[in-house]
Amino acid sequence: MVNIEDLRNEARRILKEGKVKYVIGYAKNQNGLMPVPVFVKDPEDVEKLIWDPTCIHNLAKFLSDEKKRKSKEKKPDERPVGIVVKGCDSRAIVVLLQEKYINRDDVHILGISCEGSGVIDEKKLAKTLKGKKAESVDLDEKGDFVVSTKDGKIKVPAEELSAERCLECRANYPVIYDILLGDKTRKKVDAPFQSLDKMESMTEEERWAFWQEQISKCIRCYACRSVCPMCYCDECVVDTINFAVTADTSADEKAGRIKWIEKSPVPSENFVYHLVRAIHLAGRCIDCAECERVCPLDIPLRFLNKKLEKEAKELFGYDAGFDPDEPSLVSSFKDEDPEDFIR
Amino acid sequence: MPRRLKMAEEFEPRIVAFLCKWCSSAGSDLAGVSRMQYPPNVLPITVMCSGSVSPLYILDAFNKGADGVLVSGCHPGDCHYIKGNYYARRRIALVKKLLEFIGLEPQRFQMSWVSAAEGTKYTKIISDFVEDLKPLGPQTKLRRNQ
Repeated sequence: MVNIEDLRNEARRILKEGKVKYVIGYAKNQNGLMPVPVFVKDPEDVEKLIWDPTCIHNLAKFLSDEKKRKSKEKKPDERPVGIVVKGCDSRAIVVLLQEKYINRDDVHILGISCEGSGVIDEKKLAKTLKGKKAESVDLDEKGDFVVSTKDGKIKVPAEELSAERCLECRANYPVIYDILLGDKTRKKVDAPFQSLDKMESMTEEERWAFWQEQISKCIRCYACRSVCPMCYCDECVVDTINFAVTADTSADEKAGRIKWIEKSPVPSENFVYHLVRAIHLAGRCIDCAECERVCPLDIPLRFLNKKLEKEAKELFGYDAGFDPDEPSLVSSFKDEDPEDFIR
Repeated sequence: MPRRLKMAEEFEPRIVAFLCKWCSSAGSDLAGVSRMQYPPNVLPITVMCSGSVSPLYILDAFNKGADGVLVSGCHPGDCHYIKGNYYARRRIALVKKLLEFIGLEPQRFQMSWVSAAEGTKYTKIISDFVEDLKPLGPQTKLRRNQ
């Protein structure tokens, strides 16, 4: 079992020794159940850090933010950043390392093993509680969730409350860490892509009807892009860059500014946006499902990424986020890659 | 009126073909200079290498109203840039799977290997592609409404 004091002691130690700038972790939300990210700079404040099955966010996003912030400072603090990660978050860091976006020295990883059950799903919890308010969610010894409400405790089996991604998680422990809390228990997953089965058994027209309905809902708030730890490009393909055309603007400059996607949230443009995002995340997405969590219109974005994860695994035997020294999916090839679709 | 009806019945698909400069484009040129007959439904776009075809080009072609998209490059081992077509093979496989997943007809997006000497193969690929697309009708799923 993960002892929260171990986490706090380690955070206190690295902060006191000045090894890290600050520690990014989870803190209790003053107004509700779900925790909030916290940046601890003062060793006195480590008591704020918590860990329980409601810690669903992927904090690895803050590492790319940190890099961008550092690049703007004149005399940046070169010390690493401490970060609390789960299994999936640690794989996000592996991908950032693999792409050499961050260095291993930039980050001090406090890894926590999810120990079998993973984290909860907010929507499933709301359904289970039927209007009641949860005060806390804990794990018991058997790996089931215990939800505390005002009227007492409710025990819920792990499968009913776990986030979808946790049910398909193949490594529920951090793959990279400086200190590991909890045991490296490995859960056996029989069907790592079971959520896709329903969709893949549909006919082409049914699938189209499904995606047309879903993607048409998109209002292009770009929350999925903002929350994604892999979406760190300085210039995104969907952004119309402010480009003033003056008398001095050459034809070359104008031609260099191709507008691929219109801003308006109409289905055809939404499709291009979401498909491009899915393709850009092929072999990089580590299935933290943050895009789906933040979507205000509940578009099942995770399916798109999961589908490409499945194809990468089945066609090319590629697993994202396990080995920082491996070449990435689309920057490598094998002679025996399938080509039965080529005429 | 009967005449107009006949026009509407005959659907002529529009195909955007990304041909690599060194093999497929030369192959299509061979077909042309050899006076081989093939359907005029293709809009060829020469790119430097099949590996340089971004998935965005493909999506954009569908977005702008293409009924079918073809990406064609050198045979494996023949790439002018040694390994560009191997990268393309991986990337196109992923794009193809994704487009099928969202419910686009799989016939609408094809990839082929055509060498500079294979003018006949090029005409066959185009004729087959046009035959595949005719029963499907116009591609409206990803097309921008203007």
